[in-house]
Amino acid sequence: MEGIAIALAASVVVALICRRYAIPPIPFYIITGLLLGTAGLGIVETSEVSEWIAHMGLLFLLFTMGLHLHPGEVAKRRGSFLVAGIIDLCINFAAGFVVALLIGMPFYDAVVLAGAFYISSSAIALSSLIDNRKLGFRESDTVIWLMIFEDIILVALLILFTAQEVSPLRIIGIIICVAAAAFACVWKLKGRLRQFFAREDELPILAVFLAVVLAVAVSEVTGVPDSLLVIILGSAISLAAADRAEVVARPFREVFLVIFFVFFGISVSFSGLPSLVILASVIVLAIITKLLSGLVIGKAIHGRVLSGVDIWADTTSRGEFSILLALLYGSPAVVPVVAVMVVVTSCIGSFTGKYSIPIRRWCGRITAGK
Amino acid sequence: MGFFHQVLPGIGTKYELETDSGDIISVIFMPNGRVQLYTQPARCPDCYAADLNPMETRRLGNVLTGAIMEAEEEGVEIAFSALADLRIAVHTYIINDRLSGKSIADLDIRSRTGVTVLAVSRDGKNTINPRPDFRFFTGDAVVFIGESDQIRTFEQEFME
Repeated sequence: MEGIAIALAASVVVALICRRYAIPPIPFYIITGLLLGTAGLGIVETSEVSEWIAHMGLLFLLFTMGLHLHPGEVAKRRGSFLVAGIIDLCINFAAGFVVALLIGMPFYDAVVLAGAFYISSSAIALSSLIDNRKLGFRESDTVIWLMIFEDIILVALLILFTAQEVSPLRIIGIIICVAAAAFACVWKLKGRLRQFFAREDELPILAVFLAVVLAVAVSEVTGVPDSLLVIILGSAISLAAADRAEVVARPFREVFLVIFFVFFGISVSFSGLPSLVILASVIVLAIITKLLSGLVIGKAIHGRVLSGVDIWADTTSRGEFSILLALLYGSPAVVPVVAVMVVVTSCIGSFTGKYSIPIRRWCGRITAGK
Repeated sequence: MGFFHQVLPGIGTKYELETDSGDIISVIFMPNGRVQLYTQPARCPDCYAADLNPMETRRLGNVLTGAIMEAEEEGVEIAFSALADLRIAVHTYIINDRLSGKSIADLDIRSRTGVTVLAVSRDGKNTINPRPDFRFFTGDAVVFIGESDQIRTFEQEFME
């Protein structure tokens, strides 16, 4: 337990400093982990307990992500949602895949790295929009819905990776059955659930924790990964009480997720890392392709290429979902690459997020000057 | 003039109003109770923003619906149209040093001005309908009720 105490104490200090300067803490949790763990001083090692807490952090992250995937709201979105999402997916996923093959990764690892390369950090993007007061811009709506599109692609990737490991038809069959059952139950008990989640006592908290633990249990029986099950559960509950369930799940997520980030950093070993030149070019490409997709989306959705600079500024950070893909499905060769990519892009992303308006103005002057 | 609202997953609910002159005002309600308010002038690429806590939101709302408000002091006038257009003004004042230590009876507020002390808020605790021997202290927020003329008299007599 002392390892967890040290890691958590260090994270509290990091969080304090990050809040003081209004920068996203995620990359600094990982850096803290890197410093404390295998790659750094070697003070803290992962243990069974830390792995369990980190796993719960992951599940609560995905559960709250599921709460944002309200099927009705997503279905209401018009074509612009799909257009922006598909542009983002095509450019970044393809680029990530090509890059991975070029640096000599096998096909399966290349798909994992492409996913990690493609998917931006929702946590960093959303808090940047709120903290830097950019919610009034139309581009911010596009960014928010882009995050939702990426979440949906993440679900698809999780299904793909799982189905590839075992018999695909059986697994997809089970997923459809579980999803149908979850949505039907919530739909049927909508009124009751809403009342239940409105309670002020401990019952909603117990129920949310039970839901996540239940997902782990069901996953052990059926072979469907618990990550998928909690997303399905979250999405089903969003029909009845998305806001309240999120309030209840938030303390679990905040605590466990910090452990997840720190211990991810602790577990990373840099042996087998490609050369610095290759690594640097992966990161530069990760930033450039998001700029490219941002510019194309800006032109397509807002009619102005410059809008793309705003979109790029808040989507360039990779974060929690990239780590998730690397940890769950990546080989030891993928993990350190993703770790470095997440740390560097999210540091740069927090800067671009903060100064996106001056950056856009500056770009505007340059293009006007031409 | 169009008002439209949409859910922003992970953020909250956004209401957007486009005025006749083409300015855009957006209000975003977040689950933690805070509100962000944005104004974007027509044909201007920049947005101006304010981040408000629930208290500030209510105060701003009071101003927009036409209530009077001064720095620390604010009030509303309620019109009961069914009762021969009866208008009642409710106003809060912060007690100054001159009134500190005096009771409601000492000051003879009702007979001198016509206004009634409705409630006093001191250090976060509220006293509703305080008794005549209730003593004010500097910094008390006091709610007065009366006609707006009476409130004005009170302000001239005691607050200036």
